[in-house]
Amino acid sequence: MVNSWRPKPGDVSLRVVRPVKLHRALGIPGLFSTAYGDVGSSIYYALGIVAISALGLTPAVLTFSAILFLFTGLTYAEGATALPEAGGTGAFARRAFNDLISFITSWGLMLDYLVTIAISAFSVANYLGHFFPVCSTWPTNSLVGIGIVAFLAGVNILGIRLSSRLNMTLVILDILTQLTVVVFGVLLIINIPTLIHNVHWGTAPTLNQLLFGISISMVAYTGIETVANLGSEARHPSKQIPRTVLLVFATVIVLYSLLSMTALSAYPVHQFDNHWVSDLTERFLQDPIMGIAYAMPGAVKEILSFWVAILAVTILTIATNAGIIGSSRLAYFMGKRQQLPTGISSVQLRFRVPWRAIVIFSSLACLMIILGNVSILADLYAFGAMLAYTMAHVSIIALRVKEPNLKRPFKIPLNIRIRRKDIPITAVIGGLATAMTWLIVVYTHEYGRVVGFAWILIGLLIYILFRRLTHRPLVAKVPEGQPKLERILYPTQPTSQKPEGKDIVDFTREDYNTKHPP
Amino acid sequence: MPVTGTQVDNEAIRLACRLGKKNKAKIWVVYVITVRRSLPIEAEIEPEIRKAEDLLDSIEGVAGEENYEVKTDVLQAREAGSAIVDEAVERGVDLIVMGIPYKRRFGLFSLGTVVPYVLTNAPCRIILYREHSA
Repeated sequence: MVNSWRPKPGDVSLRVVRPVKLHRALGIPGLFSTAYGDVGSSIYYALGIVAISALGLTPAVLTFSAILFLFTGLTYAEGATALPEAGGTGAFARRAFNDLISFITSWGLMLDYLVTIAISAFSVANYLGHFFPVCSTWPTNSLVGIGIVAFLAGVNILGIRLSSRLNMTLVILDILTQLTVVVFGVLLIINIPTLIHNVHWGTAPTLNQLLFGISISMVAYTGIETVANLGSEARHPSKQIPRTVLLVFATVIVLYSLLSMTALSAYPVHQFDNHWVSDLTERFLQDPIMGIAYAMPGAVKEILSFWVAILAVTILTIATNAGIIGSSRLAYFMGKRQQLPTGISSVQLRFRVPWRAIVIFSSLACLMIILGNVSILADLYAFGAMLAYTMAHVSIIALRVKEPNLKRPFKIPLNIRIRRKDIPITAVIGGLATAMTWLIVVYTHEYGRVVGFAWILIGLLIYILFRRLTHRPLVAKVPEGQPKLERILYPTQPTSQKPEGKDIVDFTREDYNTKHPP
Repeated sequence: MPVTGTQVDNEAIRLACRLGKKNKAKIWVVYVITVRRSLPIEAEIEPEIRKAEDLLDSIEGVAGEENYEVKTDVLQAREAGSAIVDEAVERGVDLIVMGIPYKRRFGLFSLGTVVPYVLTNAPCRIILYREHSA
């Protein structure tokens, strides 16, 4: 039947837009490479930062934080599969509580993304120092890091893609490199008596140092929140997300433990000027894996140091890019939920990305790089991360209480029953541990405390101003988006089926559904 | 039949309708919105959605001129090629008709990245309809 109907100006009708079907493409290899690509790059800077404080107990501290990582990963897995939307912990907190708590959580997470961008880009420069020694000295390393961030921000705005197959290949190469270092370490370097003698209970490390080291050790797992972003992209999220978490956990606990044991066997803890130190942190604070490569004998040292430098530069560049992507997605979520001015996160046809958010947050990351100090950056990360992870655990527990019938494609096992509600034990332990760690960070990390609280306060000011100016409530959840209808200047189509007095919206919906049955 | 908003889409849909008439085949027309990694996969990109709606309405109109009724869908994916192939597999289609514009890259005719992917991975027959080079 030929449609001869044509619109004339001034007429109005409503039409229903077609529902958009999402294409979920990621299987476990893709999920694992995305998650490990973020998490696995952290050891390239985290080992030195943790070893400064934890000294001979570094392997134990990294193992302890790996367990925290597992508990947090399981929490993210339940949240991501139940609420598969951008925003991660912010989305969980919004559903469980309200927009204000969601904003504080998301803003803390945003700080983490900025630190991830800054610390990864800065570390790229330090590993480039193997080829160009000037790159590992300040201010050159900061300038190189800023250049990398600017380049990647431009790549993301212009839409140049990194092939997912290339990403997977690089992650596999990274794991193989770390495995190679570990194998040589086990065969040539690891010395159990040395590791035992590295520990001087109560003095090296002291209790304060140990707590400091534990609080900062989660920097070894930057990228854990990536799991929350993967829920909407996995083909079968209920099975694949938890398996990915377990796979990443198994990989990091083996590699990180053995790498740290190798490092502390090669550079034992000793006294210097009345302080207990390790040459790992004195000489290789900013490129600790390179320190391990340099400790290898003969030809192994030459080949391994060359290869580690190349892989580290590549993987850390990917991690920097992941941080930019993460901050962009989070900004989009916050804009959509009216927690940040929508102008920051809006998407235009020209670039098809929230380019203002990318520019703003990449610039803030560049300011952090100017500091040129990985320890300070790690302090900031610990502040934001512990806050976000604690809120993730608390939100999941709250949702178990408030919405026990919420569809949970993956439900954390090991629950205790309290007043007929199943409460996940891992979330309780994880929440308590991360909360205590956050308090330790606030108490012992000066930079983390000052800058972290300042960040939160500035964010709250922006949030309150924005909500007030747009006449939206501060605490309550703002309704999500508009119904899928749009008003366009077309005449109402005269048909014999149009009933008199029927609501035009209902009529339009029925008319559309008749022509487009599901 | 995937569409992209180029001139050749109208010609391709007419071809698809004429091919389908003999066997009274069902024709699905899909538009794939590719979402950059800087956005979540479920992001609502209003300009793209509007473009998709207008395009699919136009395609429905062209099919109507051939006295054929087509079903239309909007897909959102990271990669258009894999979305098209997966959609074809899911629906069990017998034939994909793709209209391709005459594009040059560095002086040489280029199929782009989506068409080679679909040609390599789709399980069914494919007809490529290339527009006139003039």
